[in-house]
Amino acid sequence: MVVVLYFARSAELAGVRSETVSVPQRITSLQLWDEIVKRRSRLAVLRDQVVFAVRQEYVLLGDQLLVLQSGDEVAIIPPISGG
Amino acid sequence: MNETEEEPKDFIKLTQAKLSVDEVSVLVTSPCCGAISLFIGTTRDNFNGKKVVHLEYEAYTPMAEAEIKKICRDVRKKWPAIKHVAVHHRLGLVPVTEVSVIIAVSSPHRIESLNAVSYCIDTLKATVPIWKKEMYEEEYSWKENKECFWTNMEK
Repeated sequence: MVVVLYFARSAELAGVRSETVSVPQRITSLQLWDEIVKRRSRLAVLRDQVVFAVRQEYVLLGDQLLVLQSGDEVAIIPPISGG
Repeated sequence: MNETEEEPKDFIKLTQAKLSVDEVSVLVTSPCCGAISLFIGTTRDNFNGKKVVHLEYEAYTPMAEAEIKKICRDVRKKWPAIKHVAVHHRLGLVPVTEVSVIIAVSSPHRIESLNAVSYCIDTLKATVPIWKKEMYEEEYSWKENKECFWTNMEK
């Protein structure tokens, strides 16, 4: 069980700020995205704009294999606009 | 006659409270430094012909602080003469003309602090997980920095 955090536009589309999601321990970042979109389908429009932050490190959506521990934070990161 | 040299420090703050340029200047002031350079980001009242009412900022706070810390570390590698670095960013509602971000750097001579401040704001806009929503009269828009590092990558 990982904790998925939603920010900015992704939080508006998901309708929540955070939730726990059950995923396999070993999963690619793209597979993880697909799992999340299954539950929150309105996120699909963000597919080409977002990246993840897994344990507070950026991960692009793709083939990168993630090894997730229970309680890990996975954040959906839409294009940033600080400053 | 030799006084103990102060340790270089990074002052990082994300807050809903109004930011203070005086406070930030004092934080980076150091007897061994002859220069303090500042960048102050403020809310502009217009975008593409639309009137901006205010900005609203949100952040993935622990990661934003960690990414700012990385920027401070990089700045010290690039300009070892730098003494103190302060990055204060406001969260929540920021009305027009109010300050949303202050970056301050002190160094013995001006060239390092001027360059470091410029690098800090450019890199913050590219890498720190903070988002701003621009509120117009009838609608709003989630802004996207052109510097955002992954939107600049070849797909």
